[in-house]
Amino acid sequence: MNWITQLRRRNDLCDDLSAEIRGHLEERTQELIEAGMSPAEAAASAQREFGNATLIEERGRETWHWMWIEDFLADVRYGFRALRKNPGFTIVAVLTLALGIGANSAIFSLVNAVLLRSLPFPEPERLVSFSAHNWYPQGGFVAMRSSLRTVDVAAYLEGEGLNLTGQGDPQRLYGTEVSAEFFSLLGVHPKLGRVFQSGEDHPGRDSKVILSSALWQEKFRGDPGIIGRQITLAGVSREVVGVMPAEFQFGSPKTQLWIPFAFDPRSDTYWQRDWVPIIGRLRDGATPAGAQAELQVFQSRLFALFPGKLPSSTWQPARVISLQQQIVGDVQPKLLILLGAITLVLLIACANVANLLLARAASRKREIAVRATLGAGRWRICRQLLAESVLLGIAGAAIGLALAWVGVAWLKSELPAESIPRLPTISIDPLVLLFTTAVGICTGFIFGLAPALQLSKVDLTESLKTGSKNTVGGSQRLRSGLVVSEIALAVVLVTAAGLLVKSLWQLVHVDPGFRSESILSARLTPNQAFCADFSRCQSFYSALLDRVRALPGVHGAALVNALPLNGRVAFIAARFEGYPQDTGNQPEPLIFDSVITPEYLSVMQIPLLEGRGFTPSDSAPKAEPVALITASTARKYWPGEDPVGKHVRAAWEPQDPRDNHWRRIVGVVPDVREDSMAQTLPDWIAGAIYEPYSAHAVLIDRRPATEMTVVMRSSNDAASISGALREAVRELNPEVPVTEVQTLRAVVDKSVSAPRSIMLLFAIFAGLAIVLGAVGVYGVISYSVAQRTSEIGVRMALGASRGKIQSLILGHGARIALMGVGLGLMGAFLATRLMASLLYGVTATDGMTFIAVAVLLSLVALAAAYFPARRAMRLDPLVALRYE
Amino acid sequence: MNANNPRDLFPGALEMMILRTLRLQPMHGYALCQYIKRASDDLLQIEEGSLYPALQRLLKNELVTAEWGVSSTNRRVRIYRLTAKGRKHLAHEVSAFERMLEGVTRVLAPAKS
Repeated sequence: MNWITQLRRRNDLCDDLSAEIRGHLEERTQELIEAGMSPAEAAASAQREFGNATLIEERGRETWHWMWIEDFLADVRYGFRALRKNPGFTIVAVLTLALGIGANSAIFSLVNAVLLRSLPFPEPERLVSFSAHNWYPQGGFVAMRSSLRTVDVAAYLEGEGLNLTGQGDPQRLYGTEVSAEFFSLLGVHPKLGRVFQSGEDHPGRDSKVILSSALWQEKFRGDPGIIGRQITLAGVSREVVGVMPAEFQFGSPKTQLWIPFAFDPRSDTYWQRDWVPIIGRLRDGATPAGAQAELQVFQSRLFALFPGKLPSSTWQPARVISLQQQIVGDVQPKLLILLGAITLVLLIACANVANLLLARAASRKREIAVRATLGAGRWRICRQLLAESVLLGIAGAAIGLALAWVGVAWLKSELPAESIPRLPTISIDPLVLLFTTAVGICTGFIFGLAPALQLSKVDLTESLKTGSKNTVGGSQRLRSGLVVSEIALAVVLVTAAGLLVKSLWQLVHVDPGFRSESILSARLTPNQAFCADFSRCQSFYSALLDRVRALPGVHGAALVNALPLNGRVAFIAARFEGYPQDTGNQPEPLIFDSVITPEYLSVMQIPLLEGRGFTPSDSAPKAEPVALITASTARKYWPGEDPVGKHVRAAWEPQDPRDNHWRRIVGVVPDVREDSMAQTLPDWIAGAIYEPYSAHAVLIDRRPATEMTVVMRSSNDAASISGALREAVRELNPEVPVTEVQTLRAVVDKSVSAPRSIMLLFAIFAGLAIVLGAVGVYGVISYSVAQRTSEIGVRMALGASRGKIQSLILGHGARIALMGVGLGLMGAFLATRLMASLLYGVTATDGMTFIAVAVLLSLVALAAAYFPARRAMRLDPLVALRYE
Repeated sequence: MNANNPRDLFPGALEMMILRTLRLQPMHGYALCQYIKRASDDLLQIEEGSLYPALQRLLKNELVTAEWGVSSTNRRVRIYRLTAKGRKHLAHEVSAFERMLEGVTRVLAPAKS
């Protein structure tokens, strides 16, 4: 009777049972009456003899309950007892699994928060972005906003630095400029006040600001009366119209306030500067494909609107992609690599536990045999054993969850927030719980299946009769096989970690082009209004430099507009003298433009390769504009020629014959890693020059640099210098915030923090893999020694030397190690190319790394085999012979 | 424990006895109960009621079948019948039991060997 029929017929069966029991009682009563009892007595007596009829009926019914649930519960109870009887095994197995599962869950919660969880906005699936080139000029955005029919669009621009003054010490705030519909498009509501209204992104109506909850709490003590108040930002008064809720975050977690764009068609920034990223929300009934088609038509019209020349490659045909995809695009491969790696760790843990189970199998043979004798079928025994391993898996998952909780906290603090979007939102949410539970159950099956199949295949009479500890040959092979695969997986992980270590090593040993030792830097950001009169700005800085140089322990001080490797670059569109120019659609090349004071090269110890450096007279108002050029830029634009004496200029400056915008190259300096340690120049940058800090040195926004970083070479400690610096700035101009006070060493370190943290994670994974692999080898070898004790006794009795015995056992370990390492190297060869994007200065199949890993893991495996081998060698032949 | 008390049954014993009884002839519950009591000379303590859950288990495992019929006393009763599977199971159980009994006996009387 299958269970479906049972289910259908259950009620009938139960009714039959009740009728039957009634009949039984009647029959007995009748018999007792016939024997001379009164009917009442007879009925009572029948009841008594029968027992509790209801209970019995209940037990009868229970028989028909779903069998698997009953069996399952019984298996679980039995599993519990079995595990409790063997606490040593249970603890080791559960901890091994907890490590594997916990690490998995921690990484999964990262994947979940970043890749899987939808954006915290209403109808997130309708939020879109445009792939390829998602940046448009402000004018392009305004045209797009009024002409697109399928999609509503909003523009934003992060990283606006604003000085907040009039609220205690001047403070530098991180702001985001947004178009008026930004918040309503996302569908978010303010905690206080309102969001921006249509039209508030026009000049004259744009003096509004919305605060983040954190800034409101911190700077305004959560004052509910803040709405309507005026605050001074960058010297301009703005009205606070709203406060966003704490959980609202878009883009950088650093954002402290939002201000509206001031789209002004008369401003030269409208088409030229501040290209902005755009987000969109599909209108009702619109499809991504429809929006894409419309956008492509729009793009072709945009060329006509554009006042200047544009390369035809400026806008590749836009593809409409989900906003989520846009936000996580870059980190997705990294996260998947991490998830893949951690899965390998879990597999190793599974193999280890499977091995432990197999080792225990021998001692459980009799128990299993007894159960088989009592009528349990093979499947029944298998199921019972699986229940036990699933219990182990679930216990591992429970403890693993605690580990994952710690792991998530660690990831949050360790990973660089800038490199992983939505990092603060990682948490153990219901999906992670579900994942962990599922992983626990699945691992139970994965590591339990082989031992269960092996163990349930008992030879009844053999096991019962002898109770022999001799295990089936297959088990030993299976165990060795498991350890081989453990080692192979460990090799893959360690190789990956090795490649990353080597990459990082290469990366931190790249010559950045300057010396970072004992240099302290600090960013100074006077308001634009203060520097409107450039000479005022210049004299502020020169007075400051004089004061700083006079500080005890300071050996030199200089200014630079964009400190290398600090995440901020300044550039211009440039024209090189004598270099073939714009052939139609070719745009002007963008080049880094570092604006420096003369001492900068000596403070940073950047040598001069040719020509001269800057002198104070180069900064004078009427001085001839000059520049230094980096070696690779010179080679690129004037190959084989002497660059000194050549000229370079900003592309937009009028080509008036009387102008003196050509900057004469006076010297050549080596390349400096401005943007990242990994590259001399990023793809979109064609070169780099230096200019003296002067009114000539105008950057892409066509204003002289005003926000500068002061660099100081000093033998004194950073704290005392930074205190003195702040004091000096306060005295010269109390409205200038001093921010980002840090040693250059820290700047360089931070620039490699993303690869470092990935490397660290891999190193941890690899460490786990090595330990688990070593435990596996140790376990399987010492088990085989125990197995072969009497054999060893015989060998010794026949004259085998102790050394011979040791090498016999070590040989077994070596075979396992070699097979594992061999397979692992093949696996690594295939797997590591998946991570090529994470590597620097080393190929995915770096021979040295592969060899080093092979040697390392072979040694680890041999060391793990050494201890059991030594034990075998020291066996007393007599004892060994008598063994069993 | 009072040694003079009738002994409890070990698991499976009741089922074995039911099957053994049904091998003689199909019977209804009450008759089965009376028969087992008589046959064991009251040495074994069988709660009358525990028969029914056992019968349900046997039914479920398809070792017996049941159908409504009329008893010799003209009552409507459910008559249980051994199936082929039940017959085989009984044989297996009995031989396993006898092996066990033999083992137990040997252990209990070691002097004899």
